[in-house]
Amino acid sequence: MVSRHVARQLMVDSDLNLGRKHRPDYWIMVWGLILITIGVVLLYSISPALTETNHVKNNYYLYRQLIAIFLSFIGFYATYKIPLSVWRSYYKPLLIAGILATLIAYAMPVNPAYPAHRWVRLGGFSFQSVELVKFAGLVWFSGFLAKRVKEGTITNLKKTLRPMLLVLLGVGVIIVGIQSDLGSAGVIIAMMFTMAYVAGLPLKKIGIVAAIVLIGLILAVVSTPYRLQRIEAYLHPQTNCQGSGYQACQALIAVGSGGFMGLGLGNGAQAYGYLPESDNDSIFAIYAEKFGFIGSTILVLIFAAFFTRIKNVAEGVSDDFSKFLVLGVLTWLSVQALINMGAMVGLLPLKGITLPFISYGGTSMVFTTAAVGFVFQASQYTKYKPKQIIHSTVNDRSKQTNYSRLGRVNY
Amino acid sequence: MDQANKDYEGLENKRLRLWYGLLVLAIVIFILQLFNDQVIRYNHFKTAALNDQLEQYKIPATRGLIEAKEGNSIVPIVLNQKLYTLFADPPLIKNVNKTASKIASIIGGSVSNYENLMKTKNTQYVVLAYKISSSQNSKILSLKMPGIGSQGQDYREYPNGSLAAQVLGFVNTQGVGEYGLEQAMNKQLAGTPGELKAITDANGVPLAANKGNIDIPPVNGDNVVTTLNLGMQTQMEQILARDYKSTKSQELSAIIMDPYNGHVLAMANYPTYNPANYQNVTNPSIFQNAAVDYPIEPGSTMKTLTTATALNVGAITPYESFYDPAHWVIDGFNITDIKQDVGAREQNIASILALSLNTGATWMLMQMSHPGGTTITGKGITTWHDYMVNHFRLGQPTGIEQGYEASGYVPPANLNDPSINLRYANTAFGQGVSMTAIQQLSAYDSIIDGGTYYKPTLVSELIKPNGQVINNPPKVEERNVVSPKIAHEEEPLLENVVKAYLHGGFSFMNFPSNYIVGGKTGTAQVARPTGGYYKNIFNGTYIGFVGGNQPEYTIVVYNIKPAVPGYAGSYGSQPVFADLVHMLINEGYVTPKN
Repeated sequence: MVSRHVARQLMVDSDLNLGRKHRPDYWIMVWGLILITIGVVLLYSISPALTETNHVKNNYYLYRQLIAIFLSFIGFYATYKIPLSVWRSYYKPLLIAGILATLIAYAMPVNPAYPAHRWVRLGGFSFQSVELVKFAGLVWFSGFLAKRVKEGTITNLKKTLRPMLLVLLGVGVIIVGIQSDLGSAGVIIAMMFTMAYVAGLPLKKIGIVAAIVLIGLILAVVSTPYRLQRIEAYLHPQTNCQGSGYQACQALIAVGSGGFMGLGLGNGAQAYGYLPESDNDSIFAIYAEKFGFIGSTILVLIFAAFFTRIKNVAEGVSDDFSKFLVLGVLTWLSVQALINMGAMVGLLPLKGITLPFISYGGTSMVFTTAAVGFVFQASQYTKYKPKQIIHSTVNDRSKQTNYSRLGRVNY
Repeated sequence: MDQANKDYEGLENKRLRLWYGLLVLAIVIFILQLFNDQVIRYNHFKTAALNDQLEQYKIPATRGLIEAKEGNSIVPIVLNQKLYTLFADPPLIKNVNKTASKIASIIGGSVSNYENLMKTKNTQYVVLAYKISSSQNSKILSLKMPGIGSQGQDYREYPNGSLAAQVLGFVNTQGVGEYGLEQAMNKQLAGTPGELKAITDANGVPLAANKGNIDIPPVNGDNVVTTLNLGMQTQMEQILARDYKSTKSQELSAIIMDPYNGHVLAMANYPTYNPANYQNVTNPSIFQNAAVDYPIEPGSTMKTLTTATALNVGAITPYESFYDPAHWVIDGFNITDIKQDVGAREQNIASILALSLNTGATWMLMQMSHPGGTTITGKGITTWHDYMVNHFRLGQPTGIEQGYEASGYVPPANLNDPSINLRYANTAFGQGVSMTAIQQLSAYDSIIDGGTYYKPTLVSELIKPNGQVINNPPKVEERNVVSPKIAHEEEPLLENVVKAYLHGGFSFMNFPSNYIVGGKTGTAQVARPTGGYYKNIFNGTYIGFVGGNQPEYTIVVYNIKPAVPGYAGSYGSQPVFADLVHMLINEGYVTPKN
């Protein structure tokens, strides 16, 4: 069924300028798997602490995370194998699913400890609607921009800027207002900005939109006491360690006390009830406590290598939809990682978002991994970019041009 | 691909690389901040982490028991029981109302009170309740309420209630002994706490298998076996409680001792308190063991010591008689008998004691000054002072194992003092000199036992946690207080006093003929704090012995300001002495004459 459907879509939607298919960039998969593995090992190492602190069975979180990873691989396979053109054509049902999930989350009774309408719960299964919104929004916005670029209306106020502003407004009201998820909203906004910017939207116009968003952001912060407290805690982390600044303080203590070499995988006490959310939002601090500056830098460099690979794919694909999609994934993962880790080291105020691939949390894992599937698929369509010709003194033409790698020929 | 498209693609990738450049910059800033946190400010955060995580516990040592003799066995009179202090860590409590009402339902108390405690700001430790039982404690802990914890602590348990309360003292909430044996023997009883230094979780529970943990086990305290005889102590306290009422006393103290080793067999004061509820006591003076830390002017019981001194220095003989003028004029003041004033007549040593003649005591001091004389000189004064301070060890603490002990007062033999003769004429019969009951009885013992001053003690032996017994042998402070014959000379004089009272109508002084009982009353004027003496307020004292072939037990009674129709000594403290002697005889503690 699917394959026939896909085939039809491929015939109908022939505007993807993909070029010839070649071997995907396996490094993307390698870096992603390394990050997931680090997350699993870390979760395993703090399982005793989680068991004690949250009164759950041994390795409860670990098993749940392994199930989530299994589901992620299915998602990854789907986004890798189902052609990008098909995904593009399904942006509407995706968006509707995202909006529906948001509405269901709004209707769900909330946990009194976290009074935000973020979760959709179905029996023992639950997921965060915002992750689906990010995913759907990514696909839709890539298609939207690609279409505007193709039409040449990318700078058109009515056709490009107005829908963009409307979507931003929706994000503001629903995600910031109702779901109280400024972090995720920030990720979505960053995705839209970078995508619009790369799509060619003039900086001046982006500036206008950014100004509007900034005003909204300030309003969102000023109107909610807990956000003001977080800002306050961020600006003066040591003064309010027992109150609203507790998590920020404990995160810094975890990071700082890790020192140069770290305390070691089995050591460190911060996960034992000191640092809240040590399995998800605060997991980087736990990592930094255990592995120190060396280990933390290595983790950040792994992320950087991973991001660079994604950037290369975005750069290499010539099709706009694919390019924007891959760029969107890059922004999603990198901004989310930086917002998360930045809060842990005291660079940014705390936000309730996960560290991609590392944090405990099924929804985030499934959707970020699925997003990487897009990149993996797109990496099959990058164009070869000849290296600078080396002016060799040796009269050997084979060294002057590098055609040694098959499948990357520029047609 | 046409040129325009190519340019556009160039723009896209240019902007893409710019964004990527920003990303790399952000990552570099991030790593710099990591370096700042983890390398430059490492010490700061390490200290902060240890402040939270490192707990240094003292592992309390189990406090030693206090025991007493009952027949041939040793029974505990102070035990330990584990009770718990319930505390809250306010920031960790999730639902204050629910937590407070659950706690109230288990241990009682007001929900709102607990709620207020749980809302205490800027602290991670608020005590909710002290002394909850171990079953209440396990009920509360089984609820696993976040932010609620408890700490077990040994509390003292008193199977005999208030028995020997002031002798024992109590243990405060910090686990430190206060008053009595608990204070004096705190070091031996307390043992040495162990030490635990460990990285803990947020609830203070040590994390297992941390390399830096230090764990030194505690050394438990020694058990203190007292010299107290449980039966005697119990009976004596009943007698004191009864006689306190019948003599309308303000405070009644008594001690029974074994004169031959300094062991205190019973020591009590009334009123008393229950050390299990020491915190309910409103007047802390009740904690004091008056028998060792409330010196008074003893009055005529002092004549026993003055007589022994005069006999020992050869100033008088036991059967000597003299003419009593019924008053002496010393330094322009009259010395008269406040008691049975029988007028000027021939008297003897026995009648000095039986009639308690102040003029007789003064006469003995005159004989110490120069035989046959009727004036007081420096020789008499220095002799008397030397005996009181250096032989009978008055004016200094005895060193008995009690938290507080008073030293009493013997006026210095300052011969330049213009009224020194008058002063010493008074001290010879027990005014202007003060001593505690234990001081006076220990001095008296040194006469009765044949001249050896044993340090009075309440401790018979210590039992180490491993069962090793460490004896506390009698400690001789002075071997030649008086010569051994003085005991034989003075005992009949004191027995005579008892007989004189019996014949004088004090029927309670009638003791079975196969026992010897001797003693001396004392009625002392009470000094005004502002100087001089109250006209109508007296303290009553009594010092005496009971035995068969020889004195076996010595007894002192101090009755503070009894409201009795006659002299405080005769009517206030003598009946108490009689009751104690009857008790000792009736209960079979005394070996009769054979």
